[in-house]
Amino acid sequence: MIRFENVSKTYKNGTPALSHVSVNIEKGEFVFLVGASGSGKTTFLRLLLREETPDQGRILEAGRDIASLPKWRVPYLRRNIGCVFQDFRLLPNKTVYENVAFALEVIGRPASTVQNQVPQILELVGLGEKGGRLPNELSGGEQQRVAVARAFVNRPLILLADEPTGNLDPTNSETIMALLERINRTGTTVVMATHDQNLVNRMRRRVIELDHGEIVRDQVRGVYGVPEGVL
Amino acid sequence: MANYLRYALRETLTNLWRNRMMTIAAVLTVAVSLSLVGSALLLRQSAAQASAQWQQGTRVTVWMSPSATSGEINTVRTQLNQLPIVKSCVFRSQYQDYLESKSVLPASEWTILKPVDVPSSFRCTPTVPTDAFTIQATFQHEPGVYTVTAPEQQIRQMNHTIRIVQVVFIVLAIVLMISATVLILNTIRMAIFSRRREVSVMKLVGATNWFIRVPYITEGFVQGLLGSAVAMGAVWALKTWYPLHNEFTIGNSAMWGTNIVVLLVGVVVGSVGSGIAIRRFLDV
Repeated sequence: MIRFENVSKTYKNGTPALSHVSVNIEKGEFVFLVGASGSGKTTFLRLLLREETPDQGRILEAGRDIASLPKWRVPYLRRNIGCVFQDFRLLPNKTVYENVAFALEVIGRPASTVQNQVPQILELVGLGEKGGRLPNELSGGEQQRVAVARAFVNRPLILLADEPTGNLDPTNSETIMALLERINRTGTTVVMATHDQNLVNRMRRRVIELDHGEIVRDQVRGVYGVPEGVL
Repeated sequence: MANYLRYALRETLTNLWRNRMMTIAAVLTVAVSLSLVGSALLLRQSAAQASAQWQQGTRVTVWMSPSATSGEINTVRTQLNQLPIVKSCVFRSQYQDYLESKSVLPASEWTILKPVDVPSSFRCTPTVPTDAFTIQATFQHEPGVYTVTAPEQQIRQMNHTIRIVQVVFIVLAIVLMISATVLILNTIRMAIFSRRREVSVMKLVGATNWFIRVPYITEGFVQGLLGSAVAMGAVWALKTWYPLHNEFTIGNSAMWGTNIVVLLVGVVVGSVGSGIAIRRFLDV
């Protein structure tokens, strides 16, 4: 599904963000990206969204090299990728319902699909009652659930999450993780960058650890850090 | 497509309403600057109009000497009638000119004047105002002609003044047009800058650039339209309650011509400006 082939990216100020990263993520996998701040996790996700292009190497998504994608095709690439961020990134002037519906309107889905799909997905994230609210009338956990609903409403092949629980308390984090797992079970590939040790340790999913832009660990059923006893 | 049109329309209207302070700012900017542009254009046209009217009033007067014989008068008359550069001529007898001089001369001088002392005259209108000089040169030395007067100096001076006035108004209009464009662009840019987050979210969920751009462009279009409508009203008001001399009267066609320019500038600057202003936020 996702394949990095010897990918390097250096920012203009000279800091290397990723160097010679090669990794392969299969369809339907659930992958944690861990590592300290500045280790390259966010760059990894930005490259997948084609918000950045690699200086070197190839990135394949669904068999296609996305670096060579012409600019006008980028929106179509992004329609297959759902995104969740630490800061939710909801449209503050639109209601919960409109925020989710927006993702469908943007890709030209007919009104009937919108009317059918949005309530369904809001029900799924447990916000069936709150469609008419504005984002600032919701708690952080609820806002993030709206973001998840928006990311998933058009059934993307890939879901990227950049610290989705970074602003949430443990209970709300649990809820979000349960949702992401549920989405993953439908066959969607989930890539999640996180600092949350407990979550990673408990989930026992594949863990890719980055350090100064290099992959230092890739474990199939990993934990956040290498257990101390091992060293 | 129908879906998208509905979306774009709804988005345009809600954006206009939601950002109404910005909308008002943009509309006022367009209105004020285009009112000035329109007024400058209109004044320039009125100056041209007045110049044409004044020149039409140009007269050449061929004064016959009081002692001229009727044969000499008839020769001059025939020649004047044959010249194509002379549009029309009216002959005034000595007595007619004697009566007219009453209004020009002080009473003390007029009482000692007799009709036989006064020259008879031909009052001629040249076909083209500048032909006045040619007529003057042609008849100056004809037998029986006392002198030929043409308002040469005045015509030259007036033409010069009018030309300066026109250039000043054109320069003014151009400068105002440029500043209007910059002001409008800046207002739109600020409006869009305040919504860059919204644009970035749109990009994130896979909206194409045109999908994002169109509502902003229609928004700019509507702002430009409203602004120019106000400016057109100002131009109309200027035409209707024009404070200057009669000869500066502005025709309806001049007003509509100006208003079409105002409308086009407003609408084009509004929509193209929005399109340009949003470009940098689309490049993600």
